[in-house]
Amino acid sequence: MVSIDVTNLQKTFQTKRKAAGLGGSIRSLFKPDYSSVEAVRNLSFQMSSGELLGFIGPNGAGKSTTIKILTGILHPSGGEAKVLGFTPWIDRQKLAYHIGTVFGQRPQLWYHLPAMDTFILFGKIYELDDVETKKRIDFLTEAFEIKDLLDVPVRKLSLGQRMRCEVAASLLHRPKLLLLDEPSIGLDVVAKQHIRDAIKRMNQEEGVGVLLTSHDAGDLEALCKRVIIVNHGQIVYEDKVSNLKRKFLTTKLVEVRYAMEVSKDFAIQGVEILKVGHYGVKLKFDTTKTAVDSVISHLSGAGDIVDITISDPPLEEVIAKIYQEAENA
Amino acid sequence: MKEFKFLFAIWKTNLQSAMEYRAAFLTQAIGMMVNNFIYFAIWIIFFDRFKDVRGWGVNDMYVTFGVLASAFGLVSLLFGNAFNLSDIIAKGRLDYYLSLPRPVLLHTIASRTIASGMGDFLYGFVSYGLSGYFTWDGLARYVLATLLAATVFAAFLILTQSLAFWFGMMTNFSNLVLNAMLTFGIYPITLFDSYAKLILFTLIPAALMGAIPAEFIRAFTWQTLGELLLGAIGFLTLAIFTFRMGLRRYESGSAIQIEV
Repeated sequence: MVSIDVTNLQKTFQTKRKAAGLGGSIRSLFKPDYSSVEAVRNLSFQMSSGELLGFIGPNGAGKSTTIKILTGILHPSGGEAKVLGFTPWIDRQKLAYHIGTVFGQRPQLWYHLPAMDTFILFGKIYELDDVETKKRIDFLTEAFEIKDLLDVPVRKLSLGQRMRCEVAASLLHRPKLLLLDEPSIGLDVVAKQHIRDAIKRMNQEEGVGVLLTSHDAGDLEALCKRVIIVNHGQIVYEDKVSNLKRKFLTTKLVEVRYAMEVSKDFAIQGVEILKVGHYGVKLKFDTTKTAVDSVISHLSGAGDIVDITISDPPLEEVIAKIYQEAENA
Repeated sequence: MKEFKFLFAIWKTNLQSAMEYRAAFLTQAIGMMVNNFIYFAIWIIFFDRFKDVRGWGVNDMYVTFGVLASAFGLVSLLFGNAFNLSDIIAKGRLDYYLSLPRPVLLHTIASRTIASGMGDFLYGFVSYGLSGYFTWDGLARYVLATLLAATVFAAFLILTQSLAFWFGMMTNFSNLVLNAMLTFGIYPITLFDSYAKLILFTLIPAALMGAIPAEFIRAFTWQTLGELLLGAIGFLTLAIFTFRMGLRRYESGSAIQIEV
């Protein structure tokens, strides 16, 4: 079953332009100059119920605008979208009962109050009865490990603690779909892992679909099965995360440590030498151009190997490569 | 009914939030009452010297200033974000309200309590009590007139601040007309000729916040009640319509925000 169905979605903003300085400000006062910015350009995609879909792209790619259209916050300039069968900008209120949203830069918890007070308020906003609200809070408290945080004013929580409470609050009304816009922004590794684990659990136990925008490739690897990469408001790549890795992770990074000192002139044909140390080398090669066994045999022929590590480049690099290819195209 | 339940929940949360800083809450409320007493002293001195202005005496001023203060206070207490709406729109801070399943305008304006509003609201009742017009049915009319004047005032705020959907930040303009509304609201209505009165019923509906409610409190007439009801319904309808039209133009934003 499809939970999000987007066809030729468009959003154009009118942006005021002004030359720098006082003169520019005065000219702009009498003769304002506007230009159109296409934030979303003919975007089409589908998302199945319960799917974990990553929606990534650089700053200004149109990710947040798309999410805001899908939640009914913004009206599109053209195209169609159905979210759980609702047209978001027409049925905003009805849709809001079935989706949860988290905007990493826009907290929904009341800043001066303990998170528990916002949870109770959300219970009223979503028309849950008090017993149901309490049960749900108990469940989310355990799932997100926030028992000790609920009675502390939000302003006194760390960013990671607050984000756990934010995501938990967005799940209070048992939404079928969770739209997360940069939920891990500014978090440390441990806080990110906490949130990823909890989201994964909610997906597995309650079948909540997750559409996630993020700059962090780690979120994508840890959570998403499928990925859509957007740039300049258009889809530049759409596939399973596993395929993304297979297609683009053709470069291997190798680190070798030898028992004896290595020659400063160390070289292998078709291999880029990144660093040569006294007892080790670091190199990179493309498996489609240079065979792995040929590189290994060269390496072992150069001396007695004490240790060797072969790794893929970080997903960030892969994504940057895709952006670059899209830019060049 | 469900919207009332929701409103009570929001107001309760506002109060809890304001009570986090009890000292600030109390000093603002008490300070505003003292401020109003000091401000009104000028009118007492004025009417002590001139006795009446075209049939308008200090007792009429007590009622007019009272109902205006109570209406202002009520809007500040229950719909405090109506004063901030332009800023919220221009900075793209409606996202929070739009992502929740409630009427966005009601949710937005009800999500803030201005503590000093309590001082204004209570001061109005004291002022009415001191006016010499006090009767028990007059008090009932005072409550009704305050509700209707507050509706006109809130609607006027929404109307002017919603212009931010078209023109960007309108806080200064809105403050300007707000001050005009409050200033003309407490002036004796008998000062104005018919053209000026037309403006005070329409463009800057100050008469519907001060003089007309005061007239209705002093003595019941169907005409004054009709004017107040018509003004309240008319301005509220216009305000909601303008906000809804503007909402289609809403452009959100990427500024970091917090819900307090």
